Amino acid sequence: MAKAFRNTRKGITGFLEPGERDLVRKLFNDIITMLEPDTASDEDPLAAMVGLDDKAETPSDPALFRLLPNAVNNDDDEALEFRRLTERSLRETKIGALRGAALALDSSRIVLNPEQAQIFSRALNDVRLVLAQRLQIESAEDAERIHEVQNSSQAEDVESYLALVYNFTTWLQESLMQALLTNNAAP
Amino acid sequence: MEAMTVSTASAPDTDQETDVEKLTATDIPWVVIVWNDPVNLMSYVSYVFQSYFGYSETKAHKLMLEVHEQGKSVVATGAKEKMEQHTTALHSYGLWATFQKADQA
Repeated sequence: MAKAFRNTRKGITGFLEPGERDLVRKLFNDIITMLEPDTASDEDPLAAMVGLDDKAETPSDPALFRLLPNAVNNDDDEALEFRRLTERSLRETKIGALRGAALALDSSRIVLNPEQAQIFSRALNDVRLVLAQRLQIESAEDAERIHEVQNSSQAEDVESYLALVYNFTTWLQESLMQALLTNNAAP
Repeated sequence: MEAMTVSTASAPDTDQETDVEKLTATDIPWVVIVWNDPVNLMSYVSYVFQSYFGYSETKAHKLMLEVHEQGKSVVATGAKEKMEQHTTALHSYGLWATFQKADQA
């Protein structure tokens, strides 16, 4: 069984069984796949290097849209223009965090410094945003309904399995935040 | 004498107009708004406000509660370019943020 993250003399430590590590690593990799831009062969390499993407479009997948939301409300043209200037770098930042977090999963005992803990929390958060979209969590009531699925014997269909995974990542994230917040408060 | 009175009276007016124009062009602040969602943990949102903006625990907690209870909160105010940067940074943390002119917030 996984053990919650907590502050120790060595840093923020947690424990995941091999099966749990495989699951979390797979989740991180799934999000990386979602975020990797489709690079066209005729693309201007200089534009790509500075993070511009004049062909970027608003994502049609609601989960991807939640990871890469509009930065401007009520003005689609302005939002799209901003997206073309910034989305590629945002994708790369997120992919970087997800890859970094996956590296921390190499052993069952996970030891993180505050910086690594932040990267891990960003990655877990992106996983939770995507799972929540798939589970159609749109209100506090939806979140409550999903939270009630706690017993693995309830995993009879894809939705209840996803709900269990979502609750597991939420629990992991919350324990990591508590460790990080108390770690921050320390001198 | 008469002409001098007019010129001293009109001079401050002209200055004021110039100030107003400058204000419109560059100084009306922009804001970053963070919107509520049922997924981001309260502890995480509070942590991001502390870690990214360097806000105190008290201020971060207050802003987080505003997001949670009122549906949104203005978390930063300043020049447009800076607010754009903050918005993208908050997206990198997975928060749902937008920027806009302060007078429309």
